[in-house]
Amino acid sequence: MGSSVAGVVSRERLISDDSDVIDFALIGHQESWKAAADVLAVLRGPERTPLPDDEIRDILPWIPPRAVCHVEIGSTCVSADGVTSRVRARGLYIDTFIPSDRLDSAYLHENIARVRAAAACAIRAGAKIVSLGGFSSILIEGNFELLPERHATVFTTGNTLTVGFIVQGVRKMCALEDRDLRASTLLIVGATGDVGSGCARCLAPLVRRVLLSARNLERLHRLAAELEADGVEVEFATDVRRFSHEADVVICAASLATPSFLLSRIGPDAIVCDAGYPKNLSASAQMPGVRVFFGGLGQISGGMRFEPDFRGILNRHPFPDVVHGCLLEGMALALEGRFEPFSQGRGSITPERVAQIERIAARHGIHLAPLYNADGPVEVDADAGKCVASSAF
Amino acid sequence: MEPVIGMDCPPAMEGNFLSPTALIWQDILAQAMTGELIAAMNYTSLSQICDDPGEIADALEHAQGERGHAAAFAAEGRRIGVDVPNNVDAKHWKRLREAFLRCVADRDFIGCLIVQEIMLESFAVASYARVARVAAGSLGKTFAAIAAEEEEHIDHAMEILRRERALDRKRFDDKVHRLHLDVMTTLSEMMARDCRTGHCEVCHGSCVKPSLFEVSLSAVELRGASLQQYLKTLDMLGLPGEVTLQWVAQLPV
Repeated sequence: MGSSVAGVVSRERLISDDSDVIDFALIGHQESWKAAADVLAVLRGPERTPLPDDEIRDILPWIPPRAVCHVEIGSTCVSADGVTSRVRARGLYIDTFIPSDRLDSAYLHENIARVRAAAACAIRAGAKIVSLGGFSSILIEGNFELLPERHATVFTTGNTLTVGFIVQGVRKMCALEDRDLRASTLLIVGATGDVGSGCARCLAPLVRRVLLSARNLERLHRLAAELEADGVEVEFATDVRRFSHEADVVICAASLATPSFLLSRIGPDAIVCDAGYPKNLSASAQMPGVRVFFGGLGQISGGMRFEPDFRGILNRHPFPDVVHGCLLEGMALALEGRFEPFSQGRGSITPERVAQIERIAARHGIHLAPLYNADGPVEVDADAGKCVASSAF
Repeated sequence: MEPVIGMDCPPAMEGNFLSPTALIWQDILAQAMTGELIAAMNYTSLSQICDDPGEIADALEHAQGERGHAAAFAAEGRRIGVDVPNNVDAKHWKRLREAFLRCVADRDFIGCLIVQEIMLESFAVASYARVARVAAGSLGKTFAAIAAEEEEHIDHAMEILRRERALDRKRFDDKVHRLHLDVMTTLSEMMARDCRTGHCEVCHGSCVKPSLFEVSLSAVELRGASLQQYLKTLDMLGLPGEVTLQWVAQLPV
């Protein structure tokens, strides 16, 4: 288990005493062929030559969804009387093996089938709670009925904690850049999705004006009406280029195939949170001058251990023990012993629910990760480290 | 066992017409037929270590069934105007047969089932099913029907193997791994995208793999589908997915 444990540990316990019990499962996939190659290299072991890239591309699409490794996480809980206790939970990382170049709609049915099969793995393993990471969450968030019969296993998209970390990240970035969030115009791309609409509800009361962009006009109407009813100044459009130049702060909650095209009109001083999946906005390459950071990421201070050791392979971030918020939500709930489908469906994330999951996460030492982007850490005092943009975690 | 026909005999002709892809199908059928004859020999050998008369009868019935499959493939060859050779002494097939015979020598009934039903049949079922998708008419139907029959064999063996695993999981899984290293390494070399270790001694002329695209198949597809079927079969047995993934990832390519 990781070593960043604060305070004196006076009690230590496992969420489940039975060593065969799986408290949580995380479903994800590799964001790039390079990441997939690294995973396979670990599985092959150091004594075998890594598979050539062309063989990986030939073989990977045939691998059925399955567990890749065991994950153990820890937390330090400080009770009201100051007693520190250490809690550990055990989980599985299950990969859908969706190839990174097959995320588009042409593969929708195949990819849903893969997520279903991964979910079935989690159910068979007896996982008490399952977080649907990244793209699997996008596929399933409005369609939980697509999952197999669940017995005692509950599923969460993890989107509520993702929203929490995006909002925290935006506030922190504004503070770092000495920007007044209250005077800002906020643009949300992908505003009607679960994450986008959650961000809109949380941040609208904190900014001067909100711009919403998404493909579905009817949903845009509904969200705008909801925000306007609370006195928020809102504009919306299906074409983001219509008002992108007006934004000071941008949350990109959509998975954009060509982000530079869509965001080409953003003002040169804007702050951009890449909250999409996979994260593919690069300030230096696409929007010089714009301050980009990767949003929705948290750090688990109680440490995380993989068996086999996939440290730095599955969580390819420049800081240790950083994980996507969607996966951390399931971990936090497992550490809390609250095995419930905290985030389901689309459009039901509220500031109250975000605050609730943030409290649970914080109680177990799960906090906003240091901010970084494709070029490295964005915080002056953040530890510099190897920066790899893609990550299953 | 002697080849049914010589390796160097020319393809049979029906009238003056031979389909442009007939020689590709000839090699595909030759691999399938050789596999069926190996299976028939394996079941016959298995019958010799069975104590229970019912098991002996089952094994001999399976052997007969596999010979029937081989005959069906030969008949399909004749239908498209080619003779279907076989070579159970071809290098890969010979090694697979020897792996099975080691289990027989140890009177390891469970080991025999693992090799034949879990490993060899997984490859047969998956490969035949892919071939059935693209082969026209009677040829496709024969591959599909035999794939379905082989799948039934697997189902039958699964019950026995699951019971065995329930007695001692670790011992069972260790045995599967040991056999995997032996058998699946050979199968992986045989199913590799390119035959890097020289001629397989079953294809009639040069290696058929580069020509498979002409019948809408590919070596990559056949290998991928076979490994997928193998992993799914191990899943059904209850072996941990993260363990079997590592086994497969460590195979040669």
